[in-house]
Amino acid sequence: MTLIRRISTLGAVGLLGAAALLAGCATPAHKVAATDAEYLLTVSRPGLLHVIDMKTDRIARSCEVPGKFGSGALVPSPDGRHAFVLGNLWEDVYGFELETCKLVFSARQSVADVTVKTVQSLAVSADGSELYTVQNPVRRGADRFEVMQPRLAVYRIADGLDAKPVRSFPVKRRITKIAATVGGEVILGGADVEAIDVRSGALRTVSALASWDRGPRWLTPDAFAMHSQGEHLNEYVMPYVTAKFADDKQDMASAEWWWGMSRVDLDTGKAETREIFPFEFVIFSLLADPRDRNILYGAFNTLSKHDIARKQTLKVVELDHTYYSVQISRDASRLYVGGAGSTISIHDSGTLEKIGSIQLPGDMSTADVRVAYKRR
Amino acid sequence: MKHLKSLNKKAHLLDGAEDRPEAIEEVVAMQTVVGCTATTDPGWEIDAFGGSTSLCQPMEADLYGCADSCWWPAQVPDTMSHYPDWGDGKADATKDWRKLDGIFEDKI
Repeated sequence: MTLIRRISTLGAVGLLGAAALLAGCATPAHKVAATDAEYLLTVSRPGLLHVIDMKTDRIARSCEVPGKFGSGALVPSPDGRHAFVLGNLWEDVYGFELETCKLVFSARQSVADVTVKTVQSLAVSADGSELYTVQNPVRRGADRFEVMQPRLAVYRIADGLDAKPVRSFPVKRRITKIAATVGGEVILGGADVEAIDVRSGALRTVSALASWDRGPRWLTPDAFAMHSQGEHLNEYVMPYVTAKFADDKQDMASAEWWWGMSRVDLDTGKAETREIFPFEFVIFSLLADPRDRNILYGAFNTLSKHDIARKQTLKVVELDHTYYSVQISRDASRLYVGGAGSTISIHDSGTLEKIGSIQLPGDMSTADVRVAYKRR
Repeated sequence: MKHLKSLNKKAHLLDGAEDRPEAIEEVVAMQTVVGCTATTDPGWEIDAFGGSTSLCQPMEADLYGCADSCWWPAQVPDTMSHYPDWGDGKADATKDWRKLDGIFEDKI
């Protein structure tokens, strides 16, 4: 079934879906149908959103994502009942009810001769009413491509299927991961970390990285935000690498190399930016332990545990292959390492020893691994 | 070398650089990544520490992570824009890598 035909077919249930979604998002938290469900979410090729029951570590259901795979970036709603997936070659957004796989939201961002790609940038407002994407449009002419101004697009989730942006504001290039604050801003992870007011479009610098000014003794940081995570603590963590030179000669060989992070409190919109432990191996994502925010876990070819109060790496274990993303169970006992290939590796958060795995039918590639449960 | 005939521009430059070792560097510098993105991160073969242990392992685990994000557009087909069907029917690269074909421009 083609994407257009599928959307057309689903259009008939759009109003019902939108009404149900609106009810779920607008109802006070204590009146939302109580659920103790704790789900691990990810997307795999060829195009499936997997809802994994974290009590059994088994796939509870797999929701078919319309269109082609890509990118699999996803964000759960604050009530833990829905998830929004970036699909169809990094262009469309699809929202699902997690208990039923019902498609309740869709937005096709490309229009006519303008192709719009979103590079991992998805966020849901703190009250669950709005969805945010960063759109990177290119007009495809007969003889040239016209690169257009990137923008933050704001969708009303209650609009349901085939939603259109209700507002948009210009933003800078190079933005990947974003997150919504309680105060009505969206954190934009780019060359610097910025925040944009979703009502006025006003921008402010939250954490200067590419434009930081520490003088010649510090290397301009190299930040990476394909898998920034922290929604379990209502924070946004963006790791970076920098070097502290011994003198103004900026000799790379004798420099101290550090991992650092820009850590944004999504309750207040305030950030701390600092070095956290020595740069000894590559990490793709960092995640804090809910029992102690000074304990962070990192994942890539290794799974590691760090005490950032003491700027120390506490433990490192080798993984069986490359993973991009790390998540943690609500009770903080288990770590879930996923992304890249087709397996999710489960580890004890104390010892980092492998205690299980979950096999998926295809590769996760660039897809997120997220945890969904009722937070508000 | 006298029995070999240079046919393209790079080969001509290499011939001319035969007696000037420093000129070889200029020829090597011509090798640039051409693709759908400006990403030219060096490191496909060498990691940030000058070794290989911090590269993605095995390559198949990272194959779609590069193709889907157009991360290495010269080395891996760009499934984001130009070759969206490249991975169809081959969902798990670790198992299906033998089925993944090369890209031949004359078939576009």
